[in-house]
Amino acid sequence: MSASDIIFYIFAALTLVCGILVVANPVSRNPVTSAMFLVLTIISMSGLFVLLHAFFLAAVQILVYAGAVIVLFLFVIMLLDLKEEQRRHVNRVVAALSVIVVMVIAAAIIWTIWQTKLGDGLDSAHLEGSLRAVGHLVFGKYILPFEILSLVLLVAMVGVILLSKKELK
Amino acid sequence: MNPLNLMRLVAPECILVIFALTALFMDVATLREQSAKVRQWVVGSLSGVACLTVMIWIACIRPEGSYSMVELPAVSFLLKEVLLGLTLVTALISFDAKFTRHIGEYYALLLLAAVGLMLLISSNNLLMIFVAVELVSLSLYAMTALDKTSPASAEAALKYFLFGSVAAAFMLFGISLLYGVTGQLQLDAIAGKLQTQHLEPIHYVALVMTLTGFAFKIAAAPFHLWAPDVYQAAPTPIASFIASASKVGSFFVLARIVLAGFGSARGGAGWGHLAAGWVPVLAILATVSMVIGNLVAIVQTRVKRLLAYSAIAHGGYALMALLADEQRAVSSLLFYVITYAITVLGAFGVVAMVEHSGGRDRFSDFAGLSRRAPLLSFCMLVFLLSLAGIPPLSGFFGKFYVFTAAISGPDHLQAFWLLIVGGATSVVSIYYYLQVLKQIYVAPAPANVGSLNISMPAQIGIVALAIAVIVLGFAPGLLLGRLNDGLTLVASNL
Repeated sequence: MSASDIIFYIFAALTLVCGILVVANPVSRNPVTSAMFLVLTIISMSGLFVLLHAFFLAAVQILVYAGAVIVLFLFVIMLLDLKEEQRRHVNRVVAALSVIVVMVIAAAIIWTIWQTKLGDGLDSAHLEGSLRAVGHLVFGKYILPFEILSLVLLVAMVGVILLSKKELK
Repeated sequence: MNPLNLMRLVAPECILVIFALTALFMDVATLREQSAKVRQWVVGSLSGVACLTVMIWIACIRPEGSYSMVELPAVSFLLKEVLLGLTLVTALISFDAKFTRHIGEYYALLLLAAVGLMLLISSNNLLMIFVAVELVSLSLYAMTALDKTSPASAEAALKYFLFGSVAAAFMLFGISLLYGVTGQLQLDAIAGKLQTQHLEPIHYVALVMTLTGFAFKIAAAPFHLWAPDVYQAAPTPIASFIASASKVGSFFVLARIVLAGFGSARGGAGWGHLAAGWVPVLAILATVSMVIGNLVAIVQTRVKRLLAYSAIAHGGYALMALLADEQRAVSSLLFYVITYAITVLGAFGVVAMVEHSGGRDRFSDFAGLSRRAPLLSFCMLVFLLSLAGIPPLSGFFGKFYVFTAAISGPDHLQAFWLLIVGGATSVVSIYYYLQVLKQIYVAPAPANVGSLNISMPAQIGIVALAIAVIVLGFAPGLLLGRLNDGLTLVASNL
């Protein structure tokens, strides 16, 4: 196992653990804590991008998500003055069953991926993540999906304004 | 690749986007001071004109040239016209609807959802397909929650959104695994790679996860849990759009993925000859959907919920078509889904008219409808009998083609067990459709209600759909011929 493998597993584990702590934190139910763990998740994900030589993506990930989006989240949380969430009563049997089902599916998937050794033999020297390469891909080969994404964002924006606007009688 | 060339390929979608933005802008900029009725008519007519313009455009102009992620087989033009027709009727039945005051936004979202469906039909690249699916889904989530006076509508939208995001995550994970093993996103390239590779468990995991995402979109059991709530609580025109147009798009892209992409991982669904691949997965989904959909529909007392469970059952019938050989599978599947979409849109239209006159969608609201609105009741009779599969209506031929297609495939008569399930559950389904018709034709009308107040555009749309159901029943060749023509032009791969 090489050094980059070890770093990969550290970052991957951090991503997963922080991701779980965003939604199911056993200690705190404070929305601000969740948002902070989201920052950690995103930073560890940008670490994964660095390992893939995608430096531009890693930087954008931190700038846009950890920087801008999370700050917006925090603003909204503080402006709305959200209190600690109530602990919801969970049916223990159902919770245990769902955990078992998820574990079984996860075990099956992890086992298959382990068996297959995905990506073995791929030449990592060809991976390119510079700004120039990303720009060429986004505005060349992938121009159409890129433009459709702008429509997706438009729909999301219209939808959010529509749903959050107060109905005037 | 030349950008002009690309523009030519996606010109219909671009025109529709421009119309959607115009609708949004016009409502915000110029119509704020007008009454709701005027805005509804202006923006609604604009959307109708948009659909008609693009339909004419598609009928007249067949673009040449190619772009790696867009492939336009002849059948895609036909499908796009059908989609636009369904969107047009949805726009017609939302005239005079009272569920929202945000009229510009509603029609813009409707048109953008149609754009997403058209792109879904054009694309042969998994990345494009995913982005298009997201465009459609997001518009549908937002439209489901549009009725802000009803808490049920918000709850259904949230449920739809949560289920949908989980399904999207599954689909994306499946696609990424598939990319991991093949290194490709183009469907034809994936098919090429899969042919040369030895199929390992990882291929099947990727396949099952991708199919899970689409099973959610077509509301196949056991991924159907969102459907009854959404159909019931969403404003009726939107529920009709989800039931008709989005089904046509999702089924076509599902067929394209399994037939053009996973062709070599087919497997088998013969009784006692199950072989790993996507066919047994689809066969199981089909069986569970047919049984659950039809049995649960029996106990429903709300018409929209009943139509939701019947939609689940019909999804199961349609999946059976994919057991056939490539050409036969696509033509019978598309015939079934198109006739189903036309029929169910009409049925929802009638429900919308009843709701519009102050009723709801309980069985008792339909009591004696034949005396209050004879023409609409006759249309409903046609739609429900076609859904039940009574000859000579088009629903019968749809089912007939699907059933014969299923045993014509490589599994031959070993797939007969599916036919038995299908036949038995169809018989069950006649019961609950007739329950609704009994209310309409036999039950006495409540004393205090007058005749139905029906908007003209909606009536035109509903009658046109009923005529289409009858005509396609007597002359199924009209559509089937065009579907087969469309397919033979691209015999190599879809």
